[in-house]
Amino acid sequence: MGSSLPPKEGNLFKVIVKSYETKQYKKGLKAADAILKKFPDHGETLSMKGLTLNCMDRKSEAYELVRRGLKNDLKSHVCWHVYGLLYRSDRDYKEAIKCYRNALKIDPDNIEILRDLSLLQAQMRYLTGFVETRQQLLTLKPNHRTNWIGFAVAHHLNSNCSKAVEILEAYEGTLEDDYPPDNERYEHGEMLLYKISLLEECGLLDRALEEMQKKEIKIVDKLAFKEQMVSILVKLGHLKEGEKIYRSLLFMNSDNYKYFLGLQKCLGLYSEKGQYTADEIVHLDALYKSLREEYTWSSAVKRIPLDFLEGEMFQKAADSYVRPLLSKGVPSLFSDLSPLYNQPEKADILEKLFLHLENSVRTTGSFPARTEKEPPSTLMWTLFLLAQHYDRRGQHDIALSKIDEAIEHTPTVIDLYSAKARILEHAGDLTAAAACADEARSMDLADRYLNSECVMRMLQADQVGLAEKTAVLFTKDGEQHNNLHDMQCMWYELASGESYSRQGDLGRALKKFLAVEKHYSDMTEDQFDFHSYCLRKMTLRAYVSMLKFQDKLHSHAYFEKAAAGAIRCYMKLHDSPLKSGAEEENEMSKLDPLQKRKLRQKQRKAEARAKKEAEEKNGEAATGVSKSGKRQNARPVDLDPYGEKLLQVEDPLLEATKYLNLLQNNSSKSLETHVLSFELHMRKQKILLAFQAVKQLLKLDKNYPDSHRCLIRFFHKITNSAAPVTNSEKLIWRVLDAERPDISQLNGKSLVEANNSFLEDNKDSLMHRAAAAEMLYVLEPEKKAEAIKIIEESTNNFAQRNGALGPVREWKLVDCIAVHKLLETALIDCDAASRWKVRCAEYFPYSTHFEGRYSSATTCSSSCNTKNPPENGGVNFQQPESGVAHSLNGNLRALQELKI
Amino acid sequence: MVCIRQATVEDLMEMQACNLFCLPENYQMKYYLYHILSWPQLLFVAEDYGGSIVGYVLAKMEEESSEPCHGHITSLAVLRTHRKLGLATKLMTAAQAAMESVFGAEYVSLHVRRSNRAAFNLYTSTLGYKIHDVEAKYYADGEDAYDMRKQLKGRQHHHHGHGHHHHHHHHGGGCCSGDSKAVVDPGNAGAGASTSGE
Repeated sequence: MGSSLPPKEGNLFKVIVKSYETKQYKKGLKAADAILKKFPDHGETLSMKGLTLNCMDRKSEAYELVRRGLKNDLKSHVCWHVYGLLYRSDRDYKEAIKCYRNALKIDPDNIEILRDLSLLQAQMRYLTGFVETRQQLLTLKPNHRTNWIGFAVAHHLNSNCSKAVEILEAYEGTLEDDYPPDNERYEHGEMLLYKISLLEECGLLDRALEEMQKKEIKIVDKLAFKEQMVSILVKLGHLKEGEKIYRSLLFMNSDNYKYFLGLQKCLGLYSEKGQYTADEIVHLDALYKSLREEYTWSSAVKRIPLDFLEGEMFQKAADSYVRPLLSKGVPSLFSDLSPLYNQPEKADILEKLFLHLENSVRTTGSFPARTEKEPPSTLMWTLFLLAQHYDRRGQHDIALSKIDEAIEHTPTVIDLYSAKARILEHAGDLTAAAACADEARSMDLADRYLNSECVMRMLQADQVGLAEKTAVLFTKDGEQHNNLHDMQCMWYELASGESYSRQGDLGRALKKFLAVEKHYSDMTEDQFDFHSYCLRKMTLRAYVSMLKFQDKLHSHAYFEKAAAGAIRCYMKLHDSPLKSGAEEENEMSKLDPLQKRKLRQKQRKAEARAKKEAEEKNGEAATGVSKSGKRQNARPVDLDPYGEKLLQVEDPLLEATKYLNLLQNNSSKSLETHVLSFELHMRKQKILLAFQAVKQLLKLDKNYPDSHRCLIRFFHKITNSAAPVTNSEKLIWRVLDAERPDISQLNGKSLVEANNSFLEDNKDSLMHRAAAAEMLYVLEPEKKAEAIKIIEESTNNFAQRNGALGPVREWKLVDCIAVHKLLETALIDCDAASRWKVRCAEYFPYSTHFEGRYSSATTCSSSCNTKNPPENGGVNFQQPESGVAHSLNGNLRALQELKI
Repeated sequence: MVCIRQATVEDLMEMQACNLFCLPENYQMKYYLYHILSWPQLLFVAEDYGGSIVGYVLAKMEEESSEPCHGHITSLAVLRTHRKLGLATKLMTAAQAAMESVFGAEYVSLHVRRSNRAAFNLYTSTLGYKIHDVEAKYYADGEDAYDMRKQLKGRQHHHHGHGHHHHHHHHGGGCCSGDSKAVVDPGNAGAGASTSGE
């Protein structure tokens, strides 16, 4: 490096490299300039200067210098390496790998470059190349432990488990018998556990077992040892020994469910679906009775029997389970029991039990058949439990009366208000729910949980402004947005994105959705440093599971929602593009001159203010010091706080496609992915891709209403389009002609007939009827009245099974709202929509959407504190959701906000 | 009611969400990754019957050789909805045991806000921590922290012995062994803005 320079400059060059490594960039820059003064064309110096500038946020200069450096010294591996590092810093790993490969052509055995290359290969999962590079590194430096381990891990990742084991054993062969010394026992133990897990993975169970027995003393992590051991023993069918280990694991931690289930497996008392014969239940019951004696502190040992017991035994067990928890006042009791509600007969038993307890405590002050008095709080916790029970069953009126009674009983228990807010949300009164959550929050301002819950409810009620102001109370420097964003607070960003989206503010909605997407790409990036770190630390089992986790990171629910949200925004933007400047002028001309002048003034002022703030903050960021003198992170100011720039994309559908690809690669099992794919490709006129989406939907769930919609809409469009002209069109038509007979729904039927039989097959389901009605209107617009009749003739039946206190109807609030929107926007019939609204207001009297008689839309006085009027919600729910109308006002809306 | 178990990498997202929902000191994902990839034995979660994470403990080993080998509780949280179940105690006990048995920790330290009486009581009366020092203005909002410690060595361990000779003096690998491997700390890069609770 720097070899072509005279000694003085050669030393200066070393200073540059050293300064880069120690992050003393100014010093490095000085040294570089000193060399360049004498040798202005010295390639490696130019490159290193560029690399240094890159770290000082001077990107464009950096690229220019690095490229110039390379041009002046194409034969220098340093210049290529630096070029690679530059790309790497911009996460352009493909280009970086190309540069490293060029560097290695010049200097094939350069350890540093090989190591950097191997990191990129691991990051990109170029596994064949990764194996090769790791092999080269081991060949060059076989006395380095990490090179052995790295080579083994590479083979493991490349699905060659047994080779990985061979390498680790060869590595062990290089060690002395008394290895490891005290200070490496942990690392060595981790290596051994990793090797054993590899043996298990490739099915060499006997060898794995033998290895464990031989190496037990050298494995520091005894918990992992036992868990690994028992897993192997069970696979080998050594159940007796397995049982012994599970019992000793339970002794260490009797709150780990997996150990109980493992023990059941060893005893031959386990069923995947939780279904047991009467005989098995007797045995299980006996087992847990004895375990309860042994592990008195375990709560699991008391709860698990409720899963397998039935009928009267279940009733008794549930009774003795809930009593002490009601006396103690355990708020999570209901959520603990709620999985049992999937079995309707158990839900009925619980209802009777709870009512029985309530009645006894209320009238006698004691539990049934008991003489000792319960504390007064027991009644309150029983009411709390009952309220949640009825909420779960959809009987919101009873739920609310129970929770109100509990609040009246003890008005100081905050959990009651949180529960009430949840019930109100389920009943459809989002405004009152938010007010109630806010009341809970105000009862303990130091509790962030209450704050977050309140913010969440405010966002559900579309009170975004108020939500922001509330969230800010818990963020350090008052810059709530940046802080929540920096800390990757995704639930918040997602919920505000969804709220903005409901309100038609596409710019800000997109901004939030893309912020979530950014967190995921940052997390992918996060793994980079660990490729080398874990090889040193030897935490190989954790490392490999981290890589697997990363491989499916983008299938996480938050990502799915954010991507779907962004795609919908882009499609709306495509359907109703932003107005051009001229159109906006036109809009302005409708205002009177005074209004116009005011608006312009405001616009200018706002722009000026934003610009000034941005400059000030950027100045602070550059120096890293704010006015208060506190050190801050250099954080560039957001120049597009309303997402207006995001709306100015040239081709919204192209943007949407990016996110759709991620969904298709990571969430191909989700119906929504294919619905979005259908919508997007229909807009892009990509016939075959839209058809693919239809086929995927039918494959996943042919009876799903949206699957039917997409199927009908697709073939309706094909039937009604002009005959194919070009060769490629003809080809597409031929494909479709060949495929159509394979679709059973259309077999020998016209689309109208197919729609009819879909209706006939699902005539008891509201959502299916709605889909059939909508498609009837698509196919035969003149039959609109008939379509509306299909919807209106749906009946809201009583659910089959119900408890003591009254019947529950089948329809869900969300579905009814969806049907309402369908009548408004797809069938476009105001009368039918308002008839529907009146009807649903009866079913859902708390719903603000339907303006039910108990909802805060009509009463304005909820029993909860409503001192904070909704800031920008409360009105919107009365408007039909038509993003079209709203999105046009993006700019005006932004200005209205600025007034505050 | 709630399962206490070691955390896996798959739990980290939910742990982060749990932290953001109920604590004022927050960390980026990279800091969680740094913990689990450095000391996978020291992270535990409380998982409710429906499978959601309702509490966690995030702990680490202090690896400067200037101090005796000890563990540190980075963050402990239990959702408000799941109080009164003793989850915090169970999580802490599990992490402390692992620090001692896997890494040979002599003591464990933590920071707690002066105003957080509930947590302070848990640490002192239930878990046996003692105030070691007060760190003025430790938190970003200017509040002081108690620097608390609990001695681990000398406690009876290996109580469920399985037989003969144990290598008591041998446990302890990673930290406090005086090895001078330069271990770069990738977690720090990402956690710069978030170490206030640290």
